[in-house]
Amino acid sequence: MKYTPFFGCMMTTKYPWFEAAVRRTFDKMGIELVDRDGFTCCPDPIYFQAHDKMEWYTIAARNISLAEEAGYDIITTCSGCTATLSEVNLALKEDAALRAEINDRLKRIGRQYKGTVNVRHAVTVLRDDFGMERIAGTVTRPLTGLKVAVHYGCHLLKPSRVMRVDDPDRPTILDNLLKAIGCEPIHHDKTLLCCGRACMDNSISDQMVIDILEDVVGSGADCMGLICPTCFDEFDTGQILLGRKYKKSFNIPVVYAFQLLGLAQGLAPQEVGLQHHKVKMDKLLNIGA
Amino acid sequence: MQEKRKIDFGFRNKLNAVAEGFRHNYCYQCGACVADCPSHNYSENFNPRLILLKAILGFEDELVQAGSEIWNCTNCYTCAERCPQDVRPVDVIIALKNLCIKSGKAPEGVERVAESVISFGITTKATTLTDRWRQELRLAAIKEYPVDELKKIIKGE
Repeated sequence: MKYTPFFGCMMTTKYPWFEAAVRRTFDKMGIELVDRDGFTCCPDPIYFQAHDKMEWYTIAARNISLAEEAGYDIITTCSGCTATLSEVNLALKEDAALRAEINDRLKRIGRQYKGTVNVRHAVTVLRDDFGMERIAGTVTRPLTGLKVAVHYGCHLLKPSRVMRVDDPDRPTILDNLLKAIGCEPIHHDKTLLCCGRACMDNSISDQMVIDILEDVVGSGADCMGLICPTCFDEFDTGQILLGRKYKKSFNIPVVYAFQLLGLAQGLAPQEVGLQHHKVKMDKLLNIGA
Repeated sequence: MQEKRKIDFGFRNKLNAVAEGFRHNYCYQCGACVADCPSHNYSENFNPRLILLKAILGFEDELVQAGSEIWNCTNCYTCAERCPQDVRPVDVIIALKNLCIKSGKAPEGVERVAESVISFGITTKATTLTDRWRQELRLAAIKEYPVDELKKIIKGE
């Protein structure tokens, strides 16, 4: 099992411990990541796509063409990168006229998009290639009984026509990963609500985040478990900012799914950067002690 | 009394010329996109069906401007899941955003991301803290981004 990893901007610069968590857990499972130089921003599916869709296709196609040279499927670890690269890859595979137009632009730098690789989120590799049932075999320290409020976010699942990951209304992929490492996944009323990040009017998005956080508190979960660095931004740093703005207190630790997997596989909390989170989680930070 | 607005079917041609913009023609106003739209559930002013209706009727002044409600779409894609006509309202909204930017009517800050990608190759730039963290985590240092290649494929320079 070999893949070309695409970690993107946020996970390499702002939250590099998420990159570390993916690299270390994949290493534990014997899945090889063959790095490729020369990637840029995916580019961003919200504002860059809003800027100019043709430019968005072009830069994403350039990134995909780099992976095509190596010949391995791309695995993404950020939901934003997953959204951009999956959608552009499908659009260019399906639409020959669009592909020709984009390749005209790529010709200027001697590159070509061929449509020979797939784009897949890392978590689908665990389910479809490695196998969820084998995950338990890599666990040395099961997180038995840890109650995790699952947050899928939008772009791992939707649009399902493009993502082809799971049922967007009844997803199970993260639940099954959490169960495999001993956690108890928890759903609440707002489990599938968007984190609101792309919405320009903060009075709308603030209320979405507050509602989700309050639901998580009400669910009795020990922490939130999620898969997207933008959602992480909204719920970790976000809950501190919203707490100040609206005079509320939530105190809900937020953890990236691959950090939980790493801890269950025996990695120290520092190896997956848990100490850098704004909302500290003593229960997990002291796990190695 | 509400002011009468002028219908302009000519706007359709403009929207059709933008990537995915032609999808607005498929909309038969069923409203399946509305119920599960998070922005609609948190603000009555945001309604994907009405955005599509305004696009069909050619209310360009309302849609193609910095203060347009289109900027409150969360890009969650739930409307694309629900739409029986494959309009993908979110994709039409993105096409409308492309038109806003082309005519210089984007809200402040929106273009910062695009400028950053084209100038630096990245949206979230590395800081000295990034370098320290990456060392601490035993991750390779971040390499230079091939900005010259981006300039060539985007600007033809």
